[in-house]
Amino acid sequence: METLGFLMEGFAVALTPYNLMFALFGAFAGTLIGCLPGLGPANGVAILIPLAFALGLPPETAMILLTSVYAGAMYGGRISSILLNIPGDEPAMMTCLDGYPMAQKGRAADALAISAIASFSGGLIGTIGLIMLAPVLAKFALSFGPAEYFALFLLAFATLGGITGKNPMKTVIAATLGIMISTVGIDISTGTQRYTFGVLELYEGIDFILAIVGLFAISELLFFVESRIGGGRKKMNVGKLTLTFKELVSTIPTQLRGGILGFISGVLPGAGASLGSFISYTLEKQVLGKKGNFGEGDIRGVVAPEAGNNGASSGALVPMLTLGVPGSGTTAVLLAMLISLNITPGPLMFTQNADIVWGVIAALLIGNVLLLVLNIPLIGFFVRLLSVPPMYLLPIVTMVAFVGIYSISNSTFDLYFMVAFGAAGYFLRKLEIPVVPIILGLLLGPEMEKNLGHALVLSDGDWSVLWASTLAKSFWLVAGLSLVLPYVVGPLLRRRMNAAMKESPTSD
Amino acid sequence: MTGLGDRSLGIGLLVLAVAYGWVAQQWPEPFGGAETVGPETFPTILAVVLAAGSIYLMIKPDPDAQWPLGKTALELVVSLVVLVVYALLLEPLGFVISTTLAVGTLSWRMGAPFRRAFVTGLVSAVVVFALFNYGLSLNLPAGLLEVN
Repeated sequence: METLGFLMEGFAVALTPYNLMFALFGAFAGTLIGCLPGLGPANGVAILIPLAFALGLPPETAMILLTSVYAGAMYGGRISSILLNIPGDEPAMMTCLDGYPMAQKGRAADALAISAIASFSGGLIGTIGLIMLAPVLAKFALSFGPAEYFALFLLAFATLGGITGKNPMKTVIAATLGIMISTVGIDISTGTQRYTFGVLELYEGIDFILAIVGLFAISELLFFVESRIGGGRKKMNVGKLTLTFKELVSTIPTQLRGGILGFISGVLPGAGASLGSFISYTLEKQVLGKKGNFGEGDIRGVVAPEAGNNGASSGALVPMLTLGVPGSGTTAVLLAMLISLNITPGPLMFTQNADIVWGVIAALLIGNVLLLVLNIPLIGFFVRLLSVPPMYLLPIVTMVAFVGIYSISNSTFDLYFMVAFGAAGYFLRKLEIPVVPIILGLLLGPEMEKNLGHALVLSDGDWSVLWASTLAKSFWLVAGLSLVLPYVVGPLLRRRMNAAMKESPTSD
Repeated sequence: MTGLGDRSLGIGLLVLAVAYGWVAQQWPEPFGGAETVGPETFPTILAVVLAAGSIYLMIKPDPDAQWPLGKTALELVVSLVVLVVYALLLEPLGFVISTTLAVGTLSWRMGAPFRRAFVTGLVSAVVVFALFNYGLSLNLPAGLLEVN
């Protein structure tokens, strides 16, 4: 077993005290980020990138830190779903359905504990899936030529909106804007200055870290200012843990089903964690049918979506690590970190930077254990954080973003750029232009242009090479479908998701 | 007229697409003669895609979002100004003073009581400054508080 050997090496990387410390810190910070109001996973990881840079962390440590934050944020999102009926992030939406009723019946502690365990097994199943699938996919991806890559990038953009996305055209516009920003600077292949207008700072192009932090963190601040929800939420009582071992055992099949389904929907482009938790919840409801009392605080109704979304979050790392094509906002931000560490993501990473890839995978496994250990005793602490009012929190978060950006270059020029991106992000989000495709465009733009150039040079200028091979053709087909399907399936799925939310008697 | 937001965005993007595409055609031919793929090829494609997207937006706009008016809009402008001024004053005033002012003003405007807002600002500024300068040995500007 070649994979097992690599994994062992990965553990050797991840288990050094230095890296372990960062994994622990990341898991803790991630849970915080997940449960704090107004701080999503993508947002949290984005703010930590400049810090990881400024600290001069070695690449594997930086990646371990950020993946632990990512895993932690998925854990944290459930806390406010259960206690307040307000999902901490989108994938945690389904957890509200049975989690909140459980809390109302005075079983909040049980719901939190079982959801931590479900998150753990979902994450574990997802990571095992990642370990099995990633090397195979990476090997397969080695046969891709530039034309296939070009088509694959298109596919990534087209599926980013997801099947539940509202207006695919806006995703296209956002992606194009992002790629356009990435063309600013000196063209690598010819040396032509593009869109620099003679400004020295633009010669090297626009740093995507500025764009990411501006688009996420600063625009989030502006949204909070607008909605004037600066006040905190009331404190919650968790109560005592009454979960029995028998109950725990009875949820094992649910955990397995949820984790596997979640992983699959995480790997598939355009599905993502939200759909993962939705599918596992619905399936569970159908499998158990009358035997369960879903929507009224059934314990399996908490387990299924949590196992699902954590499985999906590991699954989402598969396309990011093997193809260099992320399928979600948070994995896009992780990709940004890789690119800025001068690591070319994609199949070659598995051979050239094996220590990083496997270190990250091992760190995911370790992180999951750490999270479980952290989450059960520290739950009271995290719950208390829920009542931190955003009016204090968001300005501080913004300040940390400023510090991070400033300490990369020690110049204030970048800060103005970041604020400008924040203002632009606010307007675009108001107009329902999603910001994630912009970021993905910024990241993938240069690669896309390079592959287009290579493909056309190889074919002597014949454009049809871009869709010549069967593989490229199928990528184009899927990309086309994902732009058309939302018009057909989207409204239907959204209606069903909303209907599921309404069915639960307590969601008022 | 409904869809005003999307329509104006569409017009703006169309102008951007045309300008972006036009600029791309002005670049001198790279040294060594023109190839199939020059520096202008990719930007030209992007300009066409964006132009198509913006025309679509103008023809089929989504319903308008609720735009903040009056006081809320003013608060947003104030927040942006605070951020810009923060960046402007970071080096001359030093990290601790400028951060206290920026974080304090922001949380005060978001609804915190005046004194508590600035105390939060001061405490967070001192903590982050100490953490960065002594803990992580990254230099944040001390500004006015510099001792030497």
